[in-house]
Amino acid sequence: METINIICVDDQREVLSAVVRDLAPLADHFNIEECESAAECEELMDELDADGEHVALVISDHVMPLKTGVQLLTEIADDPRFREVKKILLTGLATHADTIKAVNQAHIDHYLEKAWDGEELLHISKQLLTEYIVSQGLDYQSRLAVLDAPTLYKLIQ
Amino acid sequence: MKQYFKYLFPILIPGIILSLPLSWFPIENITLAEQRIIAIFVLAALCWVLEPIPIYATSVLIIVLELLFVSDKGLWFTQQASPDLGILLSYKDIMATFASPIIMLFLGGFFLAMAATKYRLDVNLARVLLKPFGQQPKYVMLGLMMITAVFSMFMSNTATTAMMLAILTPVLAVFAKDDLGKVGFALAIPVAANVGGIGTPIGTPPNAIALKYLVGDKLITFGEWMAFGVPFVIILLAVSWFMLSRLFPADTDKIELTIKGRFLKTPQAIVVYCTFTLTILLWLMGGIHGMNAYVVALLPVAVFSVTKIITKEDLKKISWDVLWLVSGGIALGLGLEKTGLAANAVAAIPFGDYSPLVIIVGSSVLCLLMANFMSHTATANLLMPIVAALGLSMHSLLPYGGQVALILCVTFAASLGMSLPISTPPNALAHASGHINTKQMAKVGASIGVIGLLMTFAMVYLLTVIGFI
Repeated sequence: METINIICVDDQREVLSAVVRDLAPLADHFNIEECESAAECEELMDELDADGEHVALVISDHVMPLKTGVQLLTEIADDPRFREVKKILLTGLATHADTIKAVNQAHIDHYLEKAWDGEELLHISKQLLTEYIVSQGLDYQSRLAVLDAPTLYKLIQ
Repeated sequence: MKQYFKYLFPILIPGIILSLPLSWFPIENITLAEQRIIAIFVLAALCWVLEPIPIYATSVLIIVLELLFVSDKGLWFTQQASPDLGILLSYKDIMATFASPIIMLFLGGFFLAMAATKYRLDVNLARVLLKPFGQQPKYVMLGLMMITAVFSMFMSNTATTAMMLAILTPVLAVFAKDDLGKVGFALAIPVAANVGGIGTPIGTPPNAIALKYLVGDKLITFGEWMAFGVPFVIILLAVSWFMLSRLFPADTDKIELTIKGRFLKTPQAIVVYCTFTLTILLWLMGGIHGMNAYVVALLPVAVFSVTKIITKEDLKKISWDVLWLVSGGIALGLGLEKTGLAANAVAAIPFGDYSPLVIIVGSSVLCLLMANFMSHTATANLLMPIVAALGLSMHSLLPYGGQVALILCVTFAASLGMSLPISTPPNALAHASGHINTKQMAKVGASIGVIGLLMTFAMVYLLTVIGFI
């Protein structure tokens, strides 16, 4: 079966670990990757794409050295290869202007404020992954355990 | 009131034709079946020209009306015995137009194109092939045109244009506001896509419609078509490039196209590469392996379905409207031919009195004109059955290549109509970029249309001289 990846990006190790811990229930069905910078994430996405793997979801912090989360997500949104990738911005320090950019240019699918609620992050991730799987025509039946049922019903009717 | 005309005419005029007594028609011994086919033909022509309904819907309408009124299983009163009834069509033959070999050829082409796009073969090929053309605007334009033309030989012209315009858009954004080069680049893509489609039988639907009438000893194989189609495309492309780079020189001295990505190396991607290459090779080999182009076309359909490269979700995205549009044309041709109307109508007009050259030039010019204002496929659907019947009956055409010459000229002319944004979907897409005005498009499109038509005559003349047709 196709490998579907979730990529988490944050320059702080401990935050990254916390995100991955919250997403642990998804680990059986999705491959969860950790990146400590925007550049690392871009390189990884390029590689995964060349291997024919899916990148379904990118969860990124905003304030990072060199390239910010909003810049990273904007580039992903503009790349025809990653048009369908779902994007979550997870940040406590974004300015009003950053937030506007995140919506208008990076077309993020969800905005979560630090500190976040682990349950909520998991729930939103499930919804977005469900949307990705249906839009890509991937098999949802074998992954029902980790998908969001109400979203699925809405999309396949 | 005016906007109602496009709904009124297609209902009124065929209605009038149906209600006229048979003796009023200038065709000898006309039958009821033939009268009904005339009404359907006029309805189709009006619907395709005025477009009150989508063009593929007109095709479906043709098929259903033929089933209802001219088939052996139609409405009861249409079958009532009468000395004037004429020949009714078999309902099976009419329904079979949905799955005619021509349709299968296109289905195979669709599968190839879909798989290539899904596994990014198209974008990655474009990236690699564009490299040798460097960064000088003139040569980048040449590169873009050549790649667009090659792709549109195997993919739909519209899909190719969309892909290439996507690559081009970020580049055009950095051009100075009044740089004429922008116009040249934005025009180069649709021109190349329209011209490129001429190169292979699956390049554009009119070619396939022509193949429908090139049967028996007039058969043209896939490889033979490319043998004259590709050189034609190359020359016309060179002329277009020369014209575009002269008319719209770029002020910028450097252009950088950035296409991200790498060739996929998954097993499925490799299956796509191999199947793509193999299918084209088998098409080019002609009949050596015993399979004709139609049979070969179903190989990628099977391979991609079995390997789940094309999933059932992908299947829903196939351009069924294009397939149905062509089916309707085939059904119209079937009706004209099987009821005997095409032959009778051609016999009723003294074409024999005209010079064969007038016929060739006249019908090609008519086709070119129509193709500028309506769908290329609909144009071919309307003209091809008549032209085929005309070509068959005119013996004076023989020294000029006969029926084949006439069909080829009209087919090529159908693809050359590209002077307006409404002429073809590629033109419409390029016009939507906002860099071209209609006048510039008309100037370039009309010139290429006329040059292309003259080149077509020259090509058909050459083919006759060497004895190919």
